Amino acid sequence: MSLSEHATSAMDAPRDTVLTVQEASVRYGATTVLKDLSLSLNRGEFVCVIGPSGSGKTTLLRLLAGLLTPVSGSVDFRGQPHRAPSRDIAIVFQDYTNALLPWRDAEGNVSLALEAAGVPRAERRDQIHALLRTVGLVGSEGKFPAEMSGGMQQRLQIARCLAQKPDVLLMDEPFGALDAMTRQKLQDELLGIVAESQVTAFFVTHDLEEAIYLGDRIIALEPNPGRVSQIFDVPLPKPRNQLTTREMPEFLRLRRQLFDFIERYEQ
Amino acid sequence: MTLFHRSLWFLASLALLVGLIWGWQILADARVLPRAFFPGPDLTWRALKRGVANGSLLSDTLTTLRRMALGWALASLIGVALGAFVGTSAWARVWIAPMFEALRPLPASAIAPVAMLFLGLTDTMILTLIAFGALWPMLLTTVHGFSNIHIRRREVATSLGLSRSAFITKIALPGALPDIMGGLRLGLTIALILVVVGEMVTVQGGLGARILLAARAFNAPEIFAGIAVLGVIGLLTNAVLSLVETYALRWQRR
Ligand SMILES: Nc1ncnc2c1ncn2[C@@H]1O[C@H](COP(=O)(O)OP(=O)(O)O)[C@@H](O)[C@H]1O
Ligand SMILES: [Mg+2]
Repeated sequence: MSLSEHATSAMDAPRDTVLTVQEASVRYGATTVLKDLSLSLNRGEFVCVIGPSGSGKTTLLRLLAGLLTPVSGSVDFRGQPHRAPSRDIAIVFQDYTNALLPWRDAEGNVSLALEAAGVPRAERRDQIHALLRTVGLVGSEGKFPAEMSGGMQQRLQIARCLAQKPDVLLMDEPFGALDAMTRQKLQDELLGIVAESQVTAFFVTHDLEEAIYLGDRIIALEPNPGRVSQIFDVPLPKPRNQLTTREMPEFLRLRRQLFDFIERYEQ
Repeated sequence: MTLFHRSLWFLASLALLVGLIWGWQILADARVLPRAFFPGPDLTWRALKRGVANGSLLSDTLTTLRRMALGWALASLIGVALGAFVGTSAWARVWIAPMFEALRPLPASAIAPVAMLFLGLTDTMILTLIAFGALWPMLLTTVHGFSNIHIRRREVATSLGLSRSAFITKIALPGALPDIMGGLRLGLTIALILVVVGEMVTVQGGLGARILLAARAFNAPEIFAGIAVLGVIGLLTNAVLSLVETYALRWQRR
């Protein structure tokens, strides 16, 4: 599928799209980091983004978050121009240590999102416990981030994001700092959470297999200036399974294609 | 550190203190200096007992403590509030912060004559002196703490839709607390120094005045007694603040 075809199809189906980027360019000073990029996220889909380092993955995520405004083109959220961050778009950062508040325990960190949304104190407790249960942190309610493993801290950040009751969950290499076992566990938990909450997921990763395992669609960015190079549909059945899914011929075929794509930019 | 280690350290510093007092006694007994100028722990202790017995030492100590606490509290309030404002506002950092740098090196004792001129030999003058001197460390550490909030925390706040006041109380202030606590401790030391300076200038009661009057009367044991009480005040106030700090920053020790 070519780039222009994709842009057209996105405009043809506005009902199902949550976030739409049209011909957006982003510049830092004199350098154009994203150029005429078009993209749309459909409600409930899981979109993964790959690309060599410096191709603008983080910049694209920040654009979708409303933390950046394009110099040209537009970003629409639920059909309205998207100019500032919204509570309905949650961000899971890779550096959970900085994103969490070290002086608040697990409950307190989740509570921050509820306090920001003006949830009355009496209702917070039950919601917090339900969220911590969702991410598998029962029993750690009173722990401070420094007392938790990396995986637990990232779970906690995800819980705080879910507390926003977001329509869209943006994640920037959220499992990049975790070991392989923890990562696989969190991948499965995330798929479960996304399926259940019907949130739209946008997931940046440099792990190609992770992108295939999680995604319904994979967007490959190329650098200088950052733009969409290719879009891969992932026709793998759900729910996915760490063993069987990764052995399917379709998985291996995609893996081959993505490695071929990324290899062009290595070295 | 384990409890065992801590008690060991405590015993060691206690032993050092005892050793120092013992050495002081030996030096005094050796009459290197005339006993009238350099009394030993024995004469100092006698002066302390006399002061406690007639009640004057206790009232002077309370006066000094009250002034020190008030001046320090005033400095903390102004310093933290102003520091929070300057630290969170980009234009204030550009326009106001350089002025701090110009005023800060002024020794607080140098403004004592100015304060005297406008406020006379009063309690208010002492409080102003303390507040002015102790303000700077709190102001500068608070500005530092507030202007070094990690960018990710700001992004989290905007993404959660946190209001500006909630951002200050829930993210900026707790994040700056380690810096602020350092400023509060420094300010406490300065407050102790300046309360003595102020009391020596105004001579309106307090340990500073007590020491000054003793000096005029060539009453060396009384001077040493006053200094000893000041030392204890410094130790105790610092210990209390350390406890508060340990509690407030308990999340850091994990
Ligand atoms: N704040 C910034 N100021 C200037 N240049 C930036 C800034 N952030 C990112 N860039 C540049 O933009 C390009 C894309 O960065 P980024 O979106 O972080 O890429 P990725 O996440 O794919 O590695 C890089 O060349 C990077 O150097
Ligand atoms: Mg990045």
